[in-house]
Amino acid sequence: MSEQQITSNPAIQPAKRIDPLAVIVRFQSLIGLVLVFAGGIIFSPRRHGVILFLQPDNIANIVRAVSETGIIAIGMTFVIITAGIDLSVGATLGLASVVTATLMVSGGFGLITTVVAVLLMGTCFGLVQGAISSKFRLEAFIVTLAGLQAARGLALVVSGNQYINISYGEGPGLAPPIFAILGGRLFGNVVPVATIVFLIFAFIATILLNTTRFGRYVYAVGGNERAARISGVPVSAIKIAVYAITGFASALAGIVHAGQFNFGSANDGTGYELTAIAAVVIGGTSLFGGAGSMVGTIAGTIMLGALANILQLNNITPAMQLLATAAIIVLAAVLQSLVRRREGLGR
Amino acid sequence: MIRTTFQSSNTWRILLLACSCVGSVSVAQAADSLVKACAKDGEFVIGFSQANNAEPYRQHVNDELEAAAKAVPQFTLQIADGAGNVNTQTSQVDNFITQKVDLLLISPFEAAPLTPAVKRAMDAGIPVIELDRKTNGEAGKDYTAFIGGDNYKIALAAGEYTSKTLLPDGGEAAVLEGLPSSTPAVERLNGFKDGVKANPKIQIVAEQAADWLPDKAQTAFAAMLQAHPDIKMVYASNDMMAAGALLAAKGAGKSVKIIGTDGLPGPAGGIEAVAKGDWSATFTYPTGAKEAIDMAKSILLDCASSVPATVTVDTTAITPDNAKQMMGK
Repeated sequence: MSEQQITSNPAIQPAKRIDPLAVIVRFQSLIGLVLVFAGGIIFSPRRHGVILFLQPDNIANIVRAVSETGIIAIGMTFVIITAGIDLSVGATLGLASVVTATLMVSGGFGLITTVVAVLLMGTCFGLVQGAISSKFRLEAFIVTLAGLQAARGLALVVSGNQYINISYGEGPGLAPPIFAILGGRLFGNVVPVATIVFLIFAFIATILLNTTRFGRYVYAVGGNERAARISGVPVSAIKIAVYAITGFASALAGIVHAGQFNFGSANDGTGYELTAIAAVVIGGTSLFGGAGSMVGTIAGTIMLGALANILQLNNITPAMQLLATAAIIVLAAVLQSLVRRREGLGR
Repeated sequence: MIRTTFQSSNTWRILLLACSCVGSVSVAQAADSLVKACAKDGEFVIGFSQANNAEPYRQHVNDELEAAAKAVPQFTLQIADGAGNVNTQTSQVDNFITQKVDLLLISPFEAAPLTPAVKRAMDAGIPVIELDRKTNGEAGKDYTAFIGGDNYKIALAAGEYTSKTLLPDGGEAAVLEGLPSSTPAVERLNGFKDGVKANPKIQIVAEQAADWLPDKAQTAFAAMLQAHPDIKMVYASNDMMAAGALLAAKGAGKSVKIIGTDGLPGPAGGIEAVAKGDWSATFTYPTGAKEAIDMAKSILLDCASSVPATVTVDTTAITPDNAKQMMGK
């Protein structure tokens, strides 16, 4: 953690000793994932001695169901590490799904054109929010709250208050059949394509955050903005860039959504921002910024999906699922705060 | 009751051949029953994939289904709540397939997104009865059967009732729409508009979406009454919004004729509101729960070789004439 604090101010350097609690927090979501999986195996219903939870099909269900929120959570990790927040992601997913469907069905655009246009739109949407927030010194919370409303409104305008079905084929009004692959499975009809997109995006994002100068700057801005500015980090540019990344991620999730469900609707993605934030927090990223991990977010995302799955396989009510998720979020946050206090960060 | 029977036992034979074996086959069955493992004395799990428990109407469907299933000792009913999210609902259907439930009941949140999941269930040899909303494809082929009401027809009946009985001399009318871009909202809106076309003296002066919610309906209708003080009636696309419209009308000190949709029972439901004279009418949207469990019985217990592919449950107009009798039902 400490190597990411590039600050010229030694006073805020955390003490360099191995704290067992800090180790647990560093890997909390991975530990949680292992625990949930162990619980899944123990409590899984069995049929003729076969553990249903571990069936390849069931694992595929879990990772397919979390792929959209997972893609969004990956983008959200960058923003939260800079101590920001983006509430517009779910609405941007809805907007992207509607635009994807519209371009292909009524616009007659091809696959590549549509995908590039939608990703560009999402990125610009994030850029604009980041720029407004940075230029006018506004809280990201407020700007992206407005962004949420704007994206839903735009989605309703684009779709003309109608849901848009995507049918495949050659000719006007039909989408290219290849697009339907997003709803399919590869490698012996086991691995969902949506999950493959999620994992590729996760891999790229992990490299970006952990090995590049940009990644170091993201941590620096969240760790101590003033110190980062003094040491020559382009703070505004970094802040704008992370919102562009979440915009891109939301648009990508929207494309995956449209392809998986052959459908674009302005209402889709409602509440995804909160699921994504939950996954990021459980993954050990602090809302105060400066600390967090991409691998943690990925593990947190899959953990929430596995939890929902095992509860449903046992026919346990959705109420219990919400309560269990609540407990996990609180536990993750408490662990983090203990570590921060020990490191003398005082929050 | 319109019943279209799909009778082509050849198709069923082909389907059966495509089916993989479900569980352990106990008794030798007639070769053309819909499911191989059917038996009078068996134990069966029925999975119900509900679109969104948060809607009072859907909770009412759950209650009726649970009551109907309880009456059949061989059945265990499991309900999963899709929470208004096609992704969640898809994964829940997949989980039911993993569990190898004996029959799938589903009210898809939207048609196209849930179509592949229903196909996976059928491919796994699980009969699928669709309740209230359809997925894409053909009943009796892409899924076993559809049971439900017809949103467009129900709203059309409400529109015709307005034209003939409520406002025969015409006047200004308003519409409260459900969640924009959702299928039932669009169907009910179009049905009502087509129904009032019968009377050219009726003008629809205001249309607002209130997302099925009473509080949003109250706000929207209060604003409508400000802008159009002469509104004589309002059509609410569900009972909840009709309740909100009543509050707005009372607040403005106006008496407006209100029509709801769904006809929910109970103390907060539409039937009682009509009986008390608060609303002019509501049009029931029958759940089809009893019909669904009856169909499950004929498939799983009686080893039926075919079932009717479409069962349309008709709406009942709840008016001041019959509201009091309907309350006890």
